[in-house]
Amino acid sequence: MKPGKAIATLGGAAVIVLTCALICWSFYGVDFQLQGLSVGIPKAGAYVAQMFPRSRADFLWIKQFCFGGGGGDASTGITQPLLETIQMAVVGTVLGAIPAFPLSFIAARTNSFFRPLSVLFKTLLNIGRAIPILVYAMIIITGLGLGKQTGAVAIGIGSFVMLCKLYAEALESVSPGPVEAVKAAGGNGLQVFVFAMLPQVFPGYLSSTLYSLELNLQASFILGLVGAGGIGFELQDALRIYNMLEVGVLVLVLIILVNLVDYFSYRVRVIFS
Amino acid sequence: MTSNIMQISDLTHRYGRGAPVLQGLNLSASPGEIIGLIGLSGAGKSTLLRCINGLVTPTGGTVEVFGQNVPKLRESQRRRVRRRIGMIFQEFNLVDRLSVIKNVLVGRLGYANTLTSCLHLFSKLDMDLARSCISQVGLDGYEDVIVRNLSGGQKQRVAIARTMAQGAEIILGDEATANLDVRTTDSIMELLQDLSRKNNTLLLLSMHNLDVARRYCPRIIGLKHGVLTFDASAQSLDDSAVKEILVT
Repeated sequence: MKPGKAIATLGGAAVIVLTCALICWSFYGVDFQLQGLSVGIPKAGAYVAQMFPRSRADFLWIKQFCFGGGGGDASTGITQPLLETIQMAVVGTVLGAIPAFPLSFIAARTNSFFRPLSVLFKTLLNIGRAIPILVYAMIIITGLGLGKQTGAVAIGIGSFVMLCKLYAEALESVSPGPVEAVKAAGGNGLQVFVFAMLPQVFPGYLSSTLYSLELNLQASFILGLVGAGGIGFELQDALRIYNMLEVGVLVLVLIILVNLVDYFSYRVRVIFS
Repeated sequence: MTSNIMQISDLTHRYGRGAPVLQGLNLSASPGEIIGLIGLSGAGKSTLLRCINGLVTPTGGTVEVFGQNVPKLRESQRRRVRRRIGMIFQEFNLVDRLSVIKNVLVGRLGYANTLTSCLHLFSKLDMDLARSCISQVGLDGYEDVIVRNLSGGQKQRVAIARTMAQGAEIILGDEATANLDVRTTDSIMELLQDLSRKNNTLLLLSMHNLDVARRYCPRIIGLKHGVLTFDASAQSLDDSAVKEILVT
């Protein structure tokens, strides 16, 4: 065997051994025991079972909770918190997407901007991506206080750093051929963007923005848990008073909502791709 | 005798600190000429074409097109020169997601108002011209077809219609028929020949296929390592001349 090939084989073996060691170490570190799971899973199952209706009264309560009317603890309804969750996600996505669009040109590796500025901007974006939305929310709370606006702004910052990267990647994948052709025909910078680049990046931009909206729905749910309003806030309330039926309905509503947005995104992507 | 539409003197170019791609090249051409540009890959053919329309600024020499020294022009002035020079490419370089007519209208961008053109709004005159160009390249009825659904030959016809919409007085072809089959190559070359004859357009076409070059280009120029080693009629391109150009 040639020395180069032997080194490559040894290197491959070392990677496999190290990966196995990392996996074993991690399982050991989290005290993972199959025996514990066999006891824990049925317990968790029983907990989840409480989220499902078991009597006619439960169904009536759900009807009242979802569609309003009547009195009691279900009369507040789900419509308002649901709308708040959607609004927070939409506002957050818009707040993130609008500045991300022009600034992604600086982040793209293929840009013609001052190189150190691009490197600095990308570094800032990487730092921004490492910070969870929850931390942004905690910081913004100090200025804006608890509420939906805080949630929307925190989601907006999270969306901005994510979309900047995704938009920049779309720009980097632009085929240079049409760009050169529009330039060769006498087109100026703006015309090059509109006729050669935008048709190529638009499906990517759209897909990234809709994906961000999906993630933001989940983020607004989580931010609600810390007081930003919406379904998350209702969930926290339901958990506090141990109303598992309400917890079940809220989780189901979120699942339906995320899947609806996913389906809508898919249809839009099909139309534009 | 016709006056030169293009006059290149002592043209030199190198990318960064690399070896020179073009070395002291001299060339002149008149309206209506069809010139085949041959040479090995890396001989400098594409760079020469891009120096002519100002997409590449040469490191030395002059490139006079329509009486203006292109490398010395400001970008806005270069754009005005470029709109009179059409360019067709091996990979067609069309915008695949746009319709045929939108791609042809790209040829009008150099003349159109920036704001309205960016809103995809073109004058009736431009629209009529684009339709007429599409018809002339034999693509009647394809105006609204998305370009990615066309064959290679049809795409190259769209690219030619784009240069026609420009009102190009010079057409530069960068391996324009390299990706096409023999029959389609012939039809595209006949279309270009016809265009040159009707509009007195200068064609400068880089190509690898010597047979096509001999058949369609009355004048052949050969590039070797960035140096012009051959400039004569197609009849003069015998085996020894080919060997001189193509053997490293």
